[in-house]
Amino acid sequence: MGYVWEFGVVFNQLDLLLAGLLNTLKITGGALLFGIPLGLLAAILRLSTYKWLRVSVGVLIEFFRTTPPIVQLFWFFFALPMLSGIEMDPFRASLVTFSIQSSAFFAEVFRGGIVSIERGQWEAARAIGMNYLESMRRVILPQAVKRMIPAFLERVIELMKTTTLVATVSYADLLYQANNIAQSTYRPLEVFTVAAGLYFIVLFPTSLLVKRIERQLAKTGEGTVH
Amino acid sequence: MSLEILSCRNLKKQFVENQVLQGIDLQINKGESLAIIGASGSGKSTLLRCLNFLEIPSSGEVRLRGKLIGSRQNGQVVYQERDLIPIRAKIGMVFQHFNLFPHMTVLQNVMEGPRTVLKLPKSEYESRAISYLEKVSIPEKRNAYPSELSGGQQQRVAIARALAMEPEIMLFDEATSALDPELVGEVLDVILKLMEEGLTCVLVTHELGFAYSAAQRVLFMHNGVVLEEGSAYDVLVEPQQPRTIEFLRGHSRFQLPASKNSQ
Amino acid sequence: MEHVWDFQTVFASWSLLSQGLFNTLKLGLLTLITGMFFGFFVGLGRYSRSSWVNFPAGVFVEVFRNTPALVQIMWFYFAFPIISPFDIDAFAAAALGLGLNTTAFCAEIFRGGIQSIHRGQWEAGKALGMTYREQVWRIILPQAVVRMIPAFMNRVVELMKMTSLASVIAFGELMHQAKTISTYHFNPIESYTVVALLFFLVISPFAFLVYHLENRFRK
Repeated sequence: MGYVWEFGVVFNQLDLLLAGLLNTLKITGGALLFGIPLGLLAAILRLSTYKWLRVSVGVLIEFFRTTPPIVQLFWFFFALPMLSGIEMDPFRASLVTFSIQSSAFFAEVFRGGIVSIERGQWEAARAIGMNYLESMRRVILPQAVKRMIPAFLERVIELMKTTTLVATVSYADLLYQANNIAQSTYRPLEVFTVAAGLYFIVLFPTSLLVKRIERQLAKTGEGTVH
Repeated sequence: MSLEILSCRNLKKQFVENQVLQGIDLQINKGESLAIIGASGSGKSTLLRCLNFLEIPSSGEVRLRGKLIGSRQNGQVVYQERDLIPIRAKIGMVFQHFNLFPHMTVLQNVMEGPRTVLKLPKSEYESRAISYLEKVSIPEKRNAYPSELSGGQQQRVAIARALAMEPEIMLFDEATSALDPELVGEVLDVILKLMEEGLTCVLVTHELGFAYSAAQRVLFMHNGVVLEEGSAYDVLVEPQQPRTIEFLRGHSRFQLPASKNSQ
Repeated sequence: MEHVWDFQTVFASWSLLSQGLFNTLKLGLLTLITGMFFGFFVGLGRYSRSSWVNFPAGVFVEVFRNTPALVQIMWFYFAFPIISPFDIDAFAAAALGLGLNTTAFCAEIFRGGIQSIHRGQWEAGKALGMTYREQVWRIILPQAVVRMIPAFMNRVVELMKMTSLASVIAFGELMHQAKTISTYHFNPIESYTVVALLFFLVISPFAFLVYHLENRFRK
């Protein structure tokens, strides 16, 4: 095996890769911005006392959790504009897909956190006359959020990895740039290895953070939710 | 003259299979202190929780100051959550397991009700919370978190949290059952002080000695009904019902004063 | 704008779709089995006292967990053949990428499950004179496996979804067939809808199971 590695050509185009990484982070951040509030709303609806609401929101959440994100992306990019006449560029389609997709996952994180809080906390809040929203906002969520942090960061990691799909609809994220450079330089081995390394540099510290927070919460006797 | 604060008529509560309350009639007057005793499973905690609507009664009526709670529809009383919220704000509740908010300091716990529910201005809810912490004798712990306190201290904070709503009546649901024996006294002292100040109190308790010395009226429950009711002396010292006698005999920790009859 | 739904052209391509479904299941099942098998050893490896074993095992797991699966698949398809003595077709690249990815995730599940068993159980086995292997097989795994079931089910869900990534390198699984059909008949609405539903039908039973198992365990 006499392959001679040649990283020079990749580093000549590092600025393109970094621009791609920036776009990856842009999509990830945008999806978080919309996905988190949407997820909280979905979680609260799924915990509703009305059965029809609980079930229909549950099915919707499960649908987005159990179908491949690439199918969702293609549907929003190719099918939705034909159905509705809404113009979709790659960025918009990606943002819509990943906001909705991640909101389904965040909904489950929120739900897990909310149901992990002991019944006595709800009762104490109600006993001093709080209504549902006040109990949720002042008593339940502040406690639940702490337990959700690891699961939450884990979802952020998964989300960022999943955003590589935007390359398939020609949005210039890190993977898309890598693929272009690989084709123009005939150095796929080096290019894809460096691209994987860039993802790793961002994601690995986040993973370490998750583990550290989990350990810390375990130490103070608090559980975490998954 | 007695002024009725809280009362219930033919109150029933049915869980999936068993009927826990089989028609309770009860009237609690202003300034009165009432102790409810009975074996576990007798329905005494459920009765207390129904009076505060943490459990919704299956049938019957509850009245606060003579005013029916809930609305009558086809002869049945129905309860809307939005009608119950202001009721709960007027009825203080102390739980067996304290249920303090672990993410808030002691002071924040006590301020929470006046702040969020009563919507008092900051200057007012803060001074109010401090004065009730003084009443339960732990103003110095105001910046501690519940997890840093002993069980007895936590329960006293929970009492202050309920008092800060300035309720018309206080309900204590086995307030000392979860405490180590040496911590029971400090909590009972606080409750006794409240009773002596004339606050209307209902307590579900296993502390028969305390019930005897502090409560004006005692009520013995068995299988979801009130079997015996009367002054502390009548129920605890000269019970009439065989069930009550049997129950009291099982509580060896309670030293019965000598009965008049046996003297 | 009124769209007339027409599923006729999709169902006319049924042979393409069933071929795709078969390939999806083939890829998913193969990578699941190999992933669980090797994941077990990697998971145990992370427990090893020798850093010659636990360090590489740790690096392997972290690299595959912290890079996107699509990058892994594309690496094996475009980059790996350059240094590989074997031919790598789309199926092989997808199977390598997803298989190693699943190995890494399964290793973490095994490790977490084993870690959740109290140390006293190891010691009790040791005290009875059991070998390491006997302790693992007779004492630890039987207890740990039950706790790992929801996590493995979850892995099945994630893996089955990930098989669709192989469409990017033109492996003929469901998603790729949908692309083919939609290009040929120009019916993206119907073909992607049908494929989304097919995935949902295959995967949702596992998700449903996870949901119920977790509710059971919580009690």
